[in-house]
This record gives sequence, structure tokens and C-alpha cells, in this order.
Amino acid sequence: MSEIKNVWEMTNIQFGFIVYEKCYQTNEMRTYFSLEDNPILGDRYREGKRHWTRVENAQSFRFDLKNINTGEVVKFDDLMGLMFCSGCLPDCELAVLQKKYEAERSMLIVAFGFFPQALTDPIPKSKLDILSDYFNQRRNHNRSKIIVASSTPIEDISRCRGDFLHDVDMLSQEPPPKERKQIF
Amino acid sequence: MTTQDLCEKLNLKMLSKFSHKEVNGVFVSDMISDVMAGAKSGNLWLTVQTHKSIIPAANLVDVAAVIITSGKDVPEETIELANKFDIAVLSTDFPTFKIVGELYSLGL
Repeated sequence: MSEIKNVWEMTNIQFGFIVYEKCYQTNEMRTYFSLEDNPILGDRYREGKRHWTRVENAQSFRFDLKNINTGEVVKFDDLMGLMFCSGCLPDCELAVLQKKYEAERSMLIVAFGFFPQALTDPIPKSKLDILSDYFNQRRNHNRSKIIVASSTPIEDISRCRGDFLHDVDMLSQEPPPKERKQIF
Repeated sequence: MTTQDLCEKLNLKMLSKFSHKEVNGVFVSDMISDVMAGAKSGNLWLTVQTHKSIIPAANLVDVAAVIITSGKDVPEETIELANKFDIAVLSTDFPTFKIVGELYSLGL
């Protein structure tokens, strides 16, 4: 993790939804950020040979980070969300790291880009370091550190049971499920 | 004011194991995204959410404590996760509105 040299603040905050869409013809999945008031689940539309269906949405927000020393703004519009690694798969590289950090009371947070772009073009390390710096610099308490890592080591997202820091089912009258829904 | 002072004055139940911390303000929300965008390090976070994902959110923001209001039952997995990362999870039977009033009268 890089040393903290700059002071960052959250800026350009926008609240919205992470929308998950699936094409049942090609079995492809994609995600994007939406500013809609209430993206309706089950909505279907055609785009070329694909028939997209909205299968899930989660309330979230997007933001940029501003270096208050230099005025530089680093955009994070490619960040789908942050996930707490629960160490669910013992053979996962991130689970091994999480165990190591947990012993030091530090927390591994995984940064995901939007799908499918994130599979070939993950959030660059320079931006992960800025996120780590941001979360650590604002801490008054020395109890632990936050380590922001790339999602790249996750070989099979469909097996991952980490917890996305999104608000799922907040518009529903039903109580939220205990476990994250199987989306991928 | 510290979390210890607040536990004594408001009779809050300490659900997790933690070291007491200084408190500098209050943030009320049941949405994780709202807390991550708006809460400050050292704030008390009042919520009725009890899912374990409140713990990483609380840790990212570095809140002084999470106070679960309205006597909501907190799952054991949430408490276990809080214990691992020294996150204070407190609870009260009072609704959020009443606790906010009490905190305000204490100067927060």
C-alpha cells in the first residue's frame, strides 16, 4: 500500500442504482449505474441479438475523489462497488490475504468495476491505492487499516459470497435476504 | 464524550467486544451508501439495519459505534464480525427518534 502523501475528499456524489441485466439467449451479464428513481425489475428490451432483462438492482452511489492539496479530481465512474471479502473460498487468493490482514485487525475490501468491462479492464492499481489512502486518512482510530484490492484474483465470481456494500431490496416491503442473491 | 460515557448515560447494551472511543457527532441512516457518503470518522451511526454488511461499512467510515435502535435483534454473525475488527455495536430498545433527542440533549 502506498504512503499517504495526499489528502482526498469525496466529491461529485450521486445516489442511484447498480442495475444488473442478463441476456438469457447468450447468458451474458452486465451492470451499470442508473440515476432512475426506481429501475423496474423484469423490464426487458432488445439490443441487436441480445434480449436484456433487469434481474436485480441495488441502491448505491458514485463519487470522485478530489486531492485537496492540488485540486486534482480522480474520477471513479468505473467503480461498480466495494465488497467485503468474507473469505468464503479457502483457495481464493483474496481469502488468503483476508485471513492474513484479519489477524492484524485490518480489513480487505475488494473494488469491482462494471461487468463485463471489469473482466478485461479492472480498476487500475493507482486508483485502488487512492481509495486505500482515502479510507485510511480519514480514520481517527488506529485500530486497523483498510486495504483496497482488485477483484481480478477472483476466478469465478459465481462462487464468491462476499458482501457488496450496496443497499439491496431497500424499496421492497419484504425483509432483506440473509445471504446475497445469486446474480452472477 | 466517549462511547463509555454514552453507554452509561443512555443505558446502551454493548453487543460486541471493543475498545471505547471518542464520539464527535451523530449520523442517522438505514442505508449503507448514505453512511459511506456522508458519515464522518468518530460519528455514532444510528440504524435499524442489522445485516453483517453494516460492519465493513462502519469500519470504512471509522464510526465510533453503531447503535441499533428499536430493540432489533442482531444476528450472531454480525456480532462476530464486529468483534474481529474492534467495531462497537450497541443496542437500545428505544426508537431512533428518542435516542437522537437524548444525544442532542447531551450536546452531540
